[in-house]
Amino acid sequence: MADGWCTDTGESVYRSRDAVKNLRIRVRIQRVTSTAALSQHLHQQVLSQQDRGVIELDTFSSQTQAASTDAEELVVGWQEKFFSQYEVDLYQTESNCQTPLERQYHTEIMAMERSKRRQNQRIFTYTDFDRFSKWEEQAQSLLIPAQSTPTFLAERMANVRHRRQERRPVESVVPKSRLITWEPSEEFIKNSHIINTPVQTMHIMGDLGPSGKLGLKENEYILCTIKADGNGVITIKPDFNNNRGAYRLETQGEKREVWRLYLENASSDIHAEEKEREQRMYRDLYTRHKDYLNSLVGQDFEMVRIIILIQTHFSAQGYEYDNLYVHFFLDLPNSKSTYSQPHREGKNISKVQSHTYTFIMFSTFFHKEDESDGSLPQWPVLYFKVLSLDFWQRYRTEGYGFLVIPSTPGYHRMTCRTWRPLQSGTVAELRRFFIGGAPELEDISYVRVPGTFKGKRLSRFGFRTQTTGSVTFTLNCIQHARAFIDASTLKKRRQTVLDQLGGHSQQGSVYNVLEAFQRARNRMQEARETLPRDLINTSAQLNSESSA
Amino acid sequence: MAELHIIGQIIGATGFPQNSLFCKWGVHAGGAWRLLSGLKEGQTQVDIPQTGDMAYWSHPIDLHYTTKGLQGWPKLHLQVWHQDSFGRCQLYGYGYIHVPSSPGQHRLQCVTWRPLGSWQDQLAEMFVGGGPQLRSPDLIYSGADRYRLHTVGMGTVELELCVILRHFDRYGVES
Repeated sequence: MADGWCTDTGESVYRSRDAVKNLRIRVRIQRVTSTAALSQHLHQQVLSQQDRGVIELDTFSSQTQAASTDAEELVVGWQEKFFSQYEVDLYQTESNCQTPLERQYHTEIMAMERSKRRQNQRIFTYTDFDRFSKWEEQAQSLLIPAQSTPTFLAERMANVRHRRQERRPVESVVPKSRLITWEPSEEFIKNSHIINTPVQTMHIMGDLGPSGKLGLKENEYILCTIKADGNGVITIKPDFNNNRGAYRLETQGEKREVWRLYLENASSDIHAEEKEREQRMYRDLYTRHKDYLNSLVGQDFEMVRIIILIQTHFSAQGYEYDNLYVHFFLDLPNSKSTYSQPHREGKNISKVQSHTYTFIMFSTFFHKEDESDGSLPQWPVLYFKVLSLDFWQRYRTEGYGFLVIPSTPGYHRMTCRTWRPLQSGTVAELRRFFIGGAPELEDISYVRVPGTFKGKRLSRFGFRTQTTGSVTFTLNCIQHARAFIDASTLKKRRQTVLDQLGGHSQQGSVYNVLEAFQRARNRMQEARETLPRDLINTSAQLNSESSA
Repeated sequence: MAELHIIGQIIGATGFPQNSLFCKWGVHAGGAWRLLSGLKEGQTQVDIPQTGDMAYWSHPIDLHYTTKGLQGWPKLHLQVWHQDSFGRCQLYGYGYIHVPSSPGQHRLQCVTWRPLGSWQDQLAEMFVGGGPQLRSPDLIYSGADRYRLHTVGMGTVELELCVILRHFDRYGVES
């Protein structure tokens, strides 16, 4: 019975693009007394026995209605003003009305009294225009013991929030001139330094005094607070019950009474046809925009055999001398390949302090026209040599190195150490120091595998080198090949390039056949289902007849 | 056609001799690329950091390219300038960086360099400022004539770029 209390009274946030004036909430309060508990228990018993049709419900509902001042239900719209007994008593006398708002209340109350229609007894509301909202936000403290003065920020925000009651469209245009306001006014400071999203508040209150003694200010309790801001955010505290059980309200007076509170969303839904129209409009808008973008983008893309696009930055560090420059070139292994890019070789001279970098960037783009099936492409290799040229025009080799372009596309960062060849004896080193000039490699491919190498074992016996600094490469690699397109439609995305280009042809053909067969079978089944039953049967009969 | 979105910011610069800096940036792409939306060049504000060495701009970059081919992948080039208290502007560095080709978020450092003149020029530069500049800024991102320059390395510009690729896999591009 009374065990289903909902203890979660936190606020919840709803977002809606519809106008908040369509919001309606059904509020129901009910005092928990012994008779009420008993009647509810009996009510539940009845409900469980309803299928037997033993007891009728009418008798019990009338009993609960007898204690009418102990329960009330009301549907409240957004900013709809319902008067409490206290307000009715207060505003009936004209002398009490000072502001125009109060005078308006007075006229409304008089009209209500004359027509004798009063919808609410206990449940009433405070709208945004009443003083209650301002008082509550400003003066009521959030702490125990209550703080006497609000904080500076609270003061500022209280004044600003309630002044901006109208909906102001957000200005998203940045002015081209006079971006800075050199002498801001007080008003400007107040509006710009503080969050000032206009918020409209509404409180649904309940007068929970004993029946017969309604209209005392001490018995007013907040049942529900609703805040709506200009961006379509609606905050309701506490949230709708949603079958979680009633909220428990306890009065503070001498007699502590317990009340049950139910909140329900009673807003009417949008009409089906209006909703349909709105959705259709959005859909048209989006498809039109998408078509427009597609028309701008176009459909073609250049088709090639294989392209590997590399973008590189590199920096050198750790070298003996400053004023380095790097001479690099990209070796394309297959003699039949062509390449088309502006700089395969390049040099750059840069003066450098000992620990900072030289920076050279280039982008190459190599593409292979013929793809002989079965032969795996050999990946290009980047050879480079680091040299230094100083003020006295002394020219020295600083290092040689090579880098194999990585086979996976993406971003790579690697460091390559370099070495320089040494000649035995001190004369060569002395010469290098004083005059410049050092042994160089004739064929730079010697760094990796010499071009003239034939045989199984490479021997560098007798070649002496010294390690010098290192060069760090940052590479962005993209690979573009026709073979990749078929692979993606086969939904095999994660295979490596070698798998795709090598074994693809055989696997691909078998898979293609299987897929085609599957598709044909599906089509046949679908066609079969759409045919009427008797047709199939007659055809079966015909077949059997013909075979017989 | 494939599409490329570049969304990011030029965060700031560090490592320069003086730190009251601004940056002129631009994006250069090849002939097969077409810019659908966004500004492809701009200039940041002058930032004078009060504490620390790094000048922060947080300048937004939001570009939408469409392309017919891979050649001419977009490159972002920068010129870092220094504005002193008298309002004079002096070049502090040129730099360029490729827009990354793999999708995702990338934090990039673009190092810059400044061309050097003869020793007389350098001496004059120490006193009155100024210094040689490139006649045409295309040289920042092309490498053909670079060997004719003498340069000195300057500071670093930090960028954060998010790259989104679309329909590249349809044409068989792996990245």
